[in-house]
Amino acid sequence: MHTLLGNMFVSLNLSTALQVSLLGFIGGILSGFIGSGGAFFMTPGMMNLGIPGVVAVGSNITHKFGKAMVGSRQHGKLGNVDKRLGICLILASYIGIQIAVWINSMLFKGSGDGHGAGGSAAADLYISMVFISILLFVAVSMLRDALKSRGPNGDQGPSMKIANFLARLYLPPYISFPVSDIRISLWILIAVGLATGYLAGTIGVGGFIGVPSMIYVFGVPTAVAAGTELYLAMFMGAFGALNYAFQGFVDIRLTLLLYTGSLLGIFVGVYGTKVVKEVLIRVVTGAIILLCVLSRAIAVPMYLRKIGWVSMNPHWDAYFNAASKFLLFAAGTSGTLIILFYVIRAYRQRRLIEHSLRSVQKMEPAATVHLDMSRAN
Amino acid sequence: MQIICISGGGSNRTKALAGRLAHKLGYRSLNREDLLEKAIKEGIQVSKLETATIKPQMFTERLALEREYYRAFMTAFLGGLNTENGTVYSGRSGHLLFSGIDHVVKVRVVEDETARVKEVMQQLNINSKKAIRYLKDVEADRNRWTRSMYGVTLEDAAHYDVMLNLGHMSVENAATALAAIAQLPDFQLTPASKRSMEELVLGANARLLLARDERTFRANVKVRSDRGIVTVTYLPQDAGIAQIIPEVIAPLPGVRELSVTMATTNILWIEEAFEAASETYQQVVEIATKWNAAIELLQFIPQDMVGQEELITADEPAFLSQRPDFVRECIGGIEEEGEVVCEDAGFQTVQQALARLGCFGGGRRIVGGATQVVKSIDRTVPYSLIVIGNMFLAKGHSAQMRMTRQLLSYLSDQINAPVVNAEDLKSQYLFGHHDLLKLFGCLGLFSLILFLILTYQEPVLRFLSGVEFKAKALAAVAVFLFVPTMAYLYGTVARSLMKLIRME
Repeated sequence: MHTLLGNMFVSLNLSTALQVSLLGFIGGILSGFIGSGGAFFMTPGMMNLGIPGVVAVGSNITHKFGKAMVGSRQHGKLGNVDKRLGICLILASYIGIQIAVWINSMLFKGSGDGHGAGGSAAADLYISMVFISILLFVAVSMLRDALKSRGPNGDQGPSMKIANFLARLYLPPYISFPVSDIRISLWILIAVGLATGYLAGTIGVGGFIGVPSMIYVFGVPTAVAAGTELYLAMFMGAFGALNYAFQGFVDIRLTLLLYTGSLLGIFVGVYGTKVVKEVLIRVVTGAIILLCVLSRAIAVPMYLRKIGWVSMNPHWDAYFNAASKFLLFAAGTSGTLIILFYVIRAYRQRRLIEHSLRSVQKMEPAATVHLDMSRAN
Repeated sequence: MQIICISGGGSNRTKALAGRLAHKLGYRSLNREDLLEKAIKEGIQVSKLETATIKPQMFTERLALEREYYRAFMTAFLGGLNTENGTVYSGRSGHLLFSGIDHVVKVRVVEDETARVKEVMQQLNINSKKAIRYLKDVEADRNRWTRSMYGVTLEDAAHYDVMLNLGHMSVENAATALAAIAQLPDFQLTPASKRSMEELVLGANARLLLARDERTFRANVKVRSDRGIVTVTYLPQDAGIAQIIPEVIAPLPGVRELSVTMATTNILWIEEAFEAASETYQQVVEIATKWNAAIELLQFIPQDMVGQEELITADEPAFLSQRPDFVRECIGGIEEEGEVVCEDAGFQTVQQALARLGCFGGGRRIVGGATQVVKSIDRTVPYSLIVIGNMFLAKGHSAQMRMTRQLLSYLSDQINAPVVNAEDLKSQYLFGHHDLLKLFGCLGLFSLILFLILTYQEPVLRFLSGVEFKAKALAAVAVFLFVPTMAYLYGTVARSLMKLIRME
């Protein structure tokens, strides 16, 4: 792919721009549907388009900043934001992000002339490995939960092992958070904040650890966890964006193109959650994430070859890249198509109902949904 | 038959108080353990509910249904007790089951902490430090239970009629005081309060039948009853049970009509005088259709109640006196015992119109102030919107506006849902000219900026990847300011577009 300013920025033509926008749309749908940021799809997607990993992460975290700002404002109106918890997590997250940005830029600069020339294989490999380990864990847990909930005992909820173990520990000092109605050890708070910040800074996926941690470890209500995560994401995104922009790793074109798709996609995804059953949401989400992990794993040999850890014919890179790209797009597209299928079906049903209602309003007397129990009895 | 609900810390003194009071009045005494035993016999997973309320992350969809089952069972059991005299119930949150019912006396008992610590030390054979921690944990669990089951806090004084400090009086004297209070006319059974209790129990029994039936027990349904009209709302994914619900409810005595509504969410519409021809009606229906929501009607008749309502001040004429006919009917509601004559044509018309459209989510009427409105709202129902229509009709335009705004502000503070008045309904939730302008304006500006950036890619990227500190800092600040602006612009476009195609 043709590049600009060394190897750092790709040259955008109409086809690439549309692909980035499509990535944003699919990421947005998945984000709205799953409730995470959608970076698990967009970051590797951009990397498959030839965009260096660090620029993909930098542009994505910048994209997340603006999106989270809009989203947390909406959640704030509904009272779903625990600002006190958010601020405490932010302080720890900042350190996590700083560590992540430092590692990323060191790996990136260490493998070339300081701005990506000579390749970003080390940083790409590192990002891919973190991505694979974390999301593999998330996908397997999610699918296991979904399978369990289909068993004879029904929805038993997530495993409480971690929460129960932490509840038995006495780690003062404790901080109370009245909005979420919880009391947390400062040390656990710092650990979760650091991990969230580190992941947000490394792969642009902070929500995957932030939301489950708040729900499973802290015991925060789901709606408040989602709202607080967005509030947190706004600050983390701002901090990440400032850091990556200062390092020169933000491609503003990509950020804006992602917006053109993602902000529309989110609405469609959220609508999807209202019309799809809980178990199906978990299965679809788990399967999509698993395929994304597989897609990233296929690209790993390429990076290993580039940094000289394995010897392999360089011509094979094209095949690995194509396979990785195909799998990612297949995962995202099939997931999106399933969601769109349900969304469109529900939308059409609603329009049909609206049409029937208009007919009912025009025709009097009309059929009534009332059931007269005196007749029934 | 009167019910006295005593909410205390579960200590021996509270139980002794309940026993003494029941003895003095000749009432039946029941405590939480008695009811839990019956709930477990009924098949309700009480222990799982207890654990889930302490650890909210465990609150699965199945347990949320179990919570409904538990609440319905408790309401039906306590409310339906057919004792000759009355009942004294000592438990955590019995008072929250019968909010707004006059002949249920809601008592909160607080105790001297030192005495409680001593009692726990003796009971559990532990030191004072451990006893203090134990009591704190128990109190926190009790609070979580109330919040999780009823969506309110245990300490909220608005939910009690009387508060007693057992640290300042003996059990005997406390029982004497409560026995005297229970005899006051304010807490006696009236035809209206009897009818309210019957409605509550009817709704609870209907919910119990649905929870007991193997065809419907997995369905997420909400049940309400108003003057014998039972309204059942269910989620679209449970559409298969729509035909089964009437079969399940049919054996229940006292049901005049059954309205079965499919809805994803709920809209609460508060109005003083409902009118099917009003603009608010059209708008609320449009939004409900768009969201697949059930509309719950709450007719709120403001009343100048002594010492409790700041919305209507003492020097203002009481609204009640200006609509005596209507108020007489709705406060008393009953001319002869058991015969309901409370009919409001507007309310009835709207109710019937909504039922015809398949979006009626139940209806009820209350008289009082903002506190009564808040108390009447079930906090466990996830309302997507609360609409305040035309209120305080007897007032002048300015006073109407001011008082409606006050009510809106009060409800916004108390209820975790967006609250809007009729004027803002259209601008905020329906697509209008203003949205069209915003859509094109933001889209135009966003497109122009994107076009310029894509046209001048190299200079833009060169600016963003400077190597000197000053250039780097400038690039960072530019990104920091530019990106949220663009997100806002395109976010507005996306939101307006979704509003236009009614996919919110």
